[in-house]
Amino acid sequence: MDEQTDPTTSATAGPTTDATGAPDAGARRRARRRWAVPVAVGAAVAAAFAGPTLVASAGGEGLPDRTAEELLAAVAQAEPQALSGTVVYTARLGLPEIPFVEAGGADPIALLGGSSTLRVWSDGEDRSRVALLGATSEYSVVRDGAEAWTYSSADDEVVHYLLSDADAARYAELESQLEQGPPPEVAGDLPTPEEAAAQVLAAAEETSTVSVDGQTTVAGRDAYQLVVTPRSTGTLVARVVVAVDAETSAPLRVQVWSTQDDGAPALEVGFTDVEFTVPDAAVLEFSAPAGADQRDVVVPLPEAPEADAARAQLGTDAHGLPTHPDVTVTGEGWDRVVELAGVDVASLVAGDPEGVETLPGGELTIGSPEAQELLREFKPTDGEGGMELDTSALYEQLTTEVPEGRLLSSTLLSVLVTHDGRVLVGAVPAETLRDLA
Amino acid sequence: MSLADAAVPTAAMPSGSATHAAAPTRVRGAWGRLLRSELRLVFGRRRNIALLVGLACVPLLLGTVLFVTRDSALGGQGPGFISRVTENGLFLVVAALFMCLPFLLPLTTGIASGDAIAGEAQAGTLRYLLAVPVSRARLLGIKALATLAYVACAVLAIAVVAFVVGAVMFGVGDVTLLSGTTVPVADGVLRIAGVAAYVALSLTGLVAVGLFLSTLTEVPVGAMAGTVVVAIVSAVLDTLPQLAVIHPGLLTHHWLDFAEFLRLEVGWGVLGQGLAVQAAWVAVFGALAWSRFTTADVTS
Amino acid sequence: MATTLPARQTPHATGRAGSAEPVHRADVAVDAASGMLTGVDLAVRTAGLTKRFRSGQVAVDGIDLEVPRGSVYGFLGPNGSGKTTTIRMLLGLVGPTDGRAWLLGEPMPDAAARVLPRVGVLVEGPAFQPYLSGAANLARLDAADATADPRTSRRRTGDALERVGLAAAARKPYRQYSLGMKQRLGLAAALLRPRDLLVLDEPTNGLDPQGTREVRHLVRELADAGTTVLVSSHLLTEIEQVCSHIGIMSRGRLLAQGERSVLTDARPARVVVTTTVADADRAAAVLGSLGLVDVVRDGAVLEAALGTPPETVSAALVGAGVPLLGLEVRRPSLEQLFVTLTGEGFDVAR
Ligand SMILES: Nc1ncnc2c1ncn2[C@@H]1O[C@H](COP(=O)(O)OP(=O)(O)O)[C@@H](O)[C@H]1O
Ligand SMILES: [Mg+2]
Repeated sequence: MDEQTDPTTSATAGPTTDATGAPDAGARRRARRRWAVPVAVGAAVAAAFAGPTLVASAGGEGLPDRTAEELLAAVAQAEPQALSGTVVYTARLGLPEIPFVEAGGADPIALLGGSSTLRVWSDGEDRSRVALLGATSEYSVVRDGAEAWTYSSADDEVVHYLLSDADAARYAELESQLEQGPPPEVAGDLPTPEEAAAQVLAAAEETSTVSVDGQTTVAGRDAYQLVVTPRSTGTLVARVVVAVDAETSAPLRVQVWSTQDDGAPALEVGFTDVEFTVPDAAVLEFSAPAGADQRDVVVPLPEAPEADAARAQLGTDAHGLPTHPDVTVTGEGWDRVVELAGVDVASLVAGDPEGVETLPGGELTIGSPEAQELLREFKPTDGEGGMELDTSALYEQLTTEVPEGRLLSSTLLSVLVTHDGRVLVGAVPAETLRDLA
Repeated sequence: MSLADAAVPTAAMPSGSATHAAAPTRVRGAWGRLLRSELRLVFGRRRNIALLVGLACVPLLLGTVLFVTRDSALGGQGPGFISRVTENGLFLVVAALFMCLPFLLPLTTGIASGDAIAGEAQAGTLRYLLAVPVSRARLLGIKALATLAYVACAVLAIAVVAFVVGAVMFGVGDVTLLSGTTVPVADGVLRIAGVAAYVALSLTGLVAVGLFLSTLTEVPVGAMAGTVVVAIVSAVLDTLPQLAVIHPGLLTHHWLDFAEFLRLEVGWGVLGQGLAVQAAWVAVFGALAWSRFTTADVTS
Repeated sequence: MATTLPARQTPHATGRAGSAEPVHRADVAVDAASGMLTGVDLAVRTAGLTKRFRSGQVAVDGIDLEVPRGSVYGFLGPNGSGKTTTIRMLLGLVGPTDGRAWLLGEPMPDAAARVLPRVGVLVEGPAFQPYLSGAANLARLDAADATADPRTSRRRTGDALERVGLAAAARKPYRQYSLGMKQRLGLAAALLRPRDLLVLDEPTNGLDPQGTREVRHLVRELADAGTTVLVSSHLLTEIEQVCSHIGIMSRGRLLAQGERSVLTDARPARVVVTTTVADADRAAAVLGSLGLVDVVRDGAVLEAALGTPPETVSAALVGAGVPLLGLEVRRPSLEQLFVTLTGEGFDVAR
């Protein structure tokens, strides 16, 4: 015990003459020590939560140096990996807030802004599952060879994508030749680092310079960073940074930086945790739950790369775009602007299926795949059940009135809808589109 | 203490002197005895019982509404899990918890925890408890345990009533998860029990906050309201994208993660993170409550 | 504080003077000059106990309380003089800004767990859970006592209720109790088990004269059984009669304390002489020659501080041929003592 034992000390002190004297300092010191406890606990908690992040952001050094060419080759040659992991997709497109995103449950429309979390499972071959996680909902895309399903828990709706009988036969034939056929196109597809990287890196060397940046850590794994910088200055894309796993050469993260924002990537899709193991077979299976609405969509078999090459000589332009009377392409590479004529925008945004008829068919390839993703959201084909949004309100909210028509301008992509029913899309500044219109 | 214990000849006392009884010794099981007494107090209080009954009515009401409207045009509509209830009564548990989570459960937690210390202070019973004596740390611990028990009971009441009502009105069958996969009933029941357990554990941080506020005031209503406000403010902050950095640490941010139990592969990491955040709030506010309560003057 | 009284009349002066004090036991007061035990064992002792609230108000200002074992100590003072605050500090409810306190010889609040089971308390009125019955409230307090045997709990609560005459209302909810019944239940709680010390803060508050008498009776009974009782009141007369010791508080200071008889004897009694108007001057001269001071003359009535035995006064007056129509010796009451100490009446709240 401390000085408390001796009662006479304080009696001697004379309380009237020494009211602030030492005798009780012990108690006050003890009180102060008590308050130090929550401070210490708070510090410990902060350290416990901040610690792992700090540790994770360090490291990543000490990998052997590799050139951009080596890395590109490694990525191209790498076998697709069986994996399961969590992906975070963040869009900072500078679009107005879309407050009603969560109301309808997990929906690909959420990818337009903010952060989304996805879970990815893949067997490295033709079976995969990607799930967009809503707070209390989920939107899943399950692929199994020539078939695919999307399932939205909020609407309890299944869309089954399958090939026509003829295409199915062709698919089987292709599969026997190529080991793997091209997967069917699914409306409302979900992005993964792998696909994003594949699309960026495919034609990178023609229109961009590729370099290697410092090493980093993604999802706890050491990674190299490939930087793809467009040679053109007319595009909104400043650069694309792809983090490549040092061990497996699998892309772990893709960041698209805009010329408009130096602070943070405009688009980012990357693993926050990943395991390169074959997922449980049950995860890759899908059978429509009892009671769910089910819709079958027969899709044409996409052309295999070889077939593409063949077609290029017949009726497509140099970029693999199908030639179509209503589609005009201006510019090269990153600067490319696609113009669609005769689109009935009014009925499109009103969700009228007839508007779809006016859309030129085929796949549009505009600058970056992300830009394409964005455009796709305006096609109500994936929205009949999945997107119960007031599309016209969304259209009003996202676009602004300009003399030429209505303009959507984001950090990566501009869309101009003219009064005469043309739609111009490109990863270029809005002024470029208005000049073209 | 050696000096005070030193033998000193005591002179004869003027009048019938008090016997210098030895310090009474502690009886075993004193903690348990006080805790039982505290639980009787909490669960015997009419207001608290009424609150539990009120919460239990939520699934009953929800189930009845869904049952009556299930064949009408409005059938099967609603946010969250409500649309699934008519297909499988088990989902009534999830839907009811989901409905109670934003306000009713924080309110219940606020009432129980805000009342814990401040209620005794207002009644004046705090000074008598401390003079019994009960050490302040022990009293705080007992109050925390009793409050946690009450909050757990509130969640349990909702879950059990929802389970019974759901089973009776809609039947119980294989459970379709958010991922579209269907799992057997037994698995489904386990997952839903997991949901209830996670929801109950998600409220522990708020209990700690309420206890701390309860040590600050002699007005229980103030502490109760403060606790509810903390939960609501936390939920509001959680919607502001400008504050994305602090979102993961917010008290309410992980509350809806109970949905992990309804995914194909339960994200234990996500659940663990949610519980870790609750543990952090419990640690910080538990320590604050302790510091405050063990140093404060009891002038009520 | 005690400086207002002559030193010899302070029954157990604390050893302010000596830094060379030989004995350090807390509950034994020491005569500083002689270094010897004064032979009084203390149940409550404080040294320079001070409380300054955060509002800046000094509610208790360096008081040295000394409550001998076996005494009934009347802790008196007007409303707001700091009695309750002192008692709260004794019990460890409020932390002193300065100074120390000992209960039954052990330092508070460090030894609270050891000491308080032996101390029964009633602080600032009774307080119980309103929706529990009287018996359930007592049972709750009993359950909170880590040193109480759970097997005999029922008997303890029953006995305590019996003792204060509440057995019939034991099952009634507390909120239905009358003010007097509430006060009784508070006393029952203080008497839940045998105590060495009872601290009763304003136990007669809200009681009718009959209830007040009962409380006095109870206090006397307990004191007879050997329990030390510290009882506070802002009503001098209600409690004065049962006290063996008195402490007087005013504005946070302990103005005087000690055995009641010593305190009241300490002020010189006054002698009141009634004679005729014509002889008043002569009478005054006689009183002056006897060495009596502070002689006040009001017509035929003379008053003076009594410095010699009264019979000497009467003999001298009669010897001087002063017609002595009356002679009265007035011993000062506590009320007068208080007025003398503070210059104001007792019932002044601040
Ligand atoms: N919690 C408090 N904060 C500030 N002042 C207080 C507090 N409690 C009591 N006081 C003040 O301290 C003084 C003494 O109060 P108290 O000890 O209750 O007196 P008594 O019991 O003798 O009537 C009063 O003037 C009162 O206003
Ligand atoms: Mg008082």
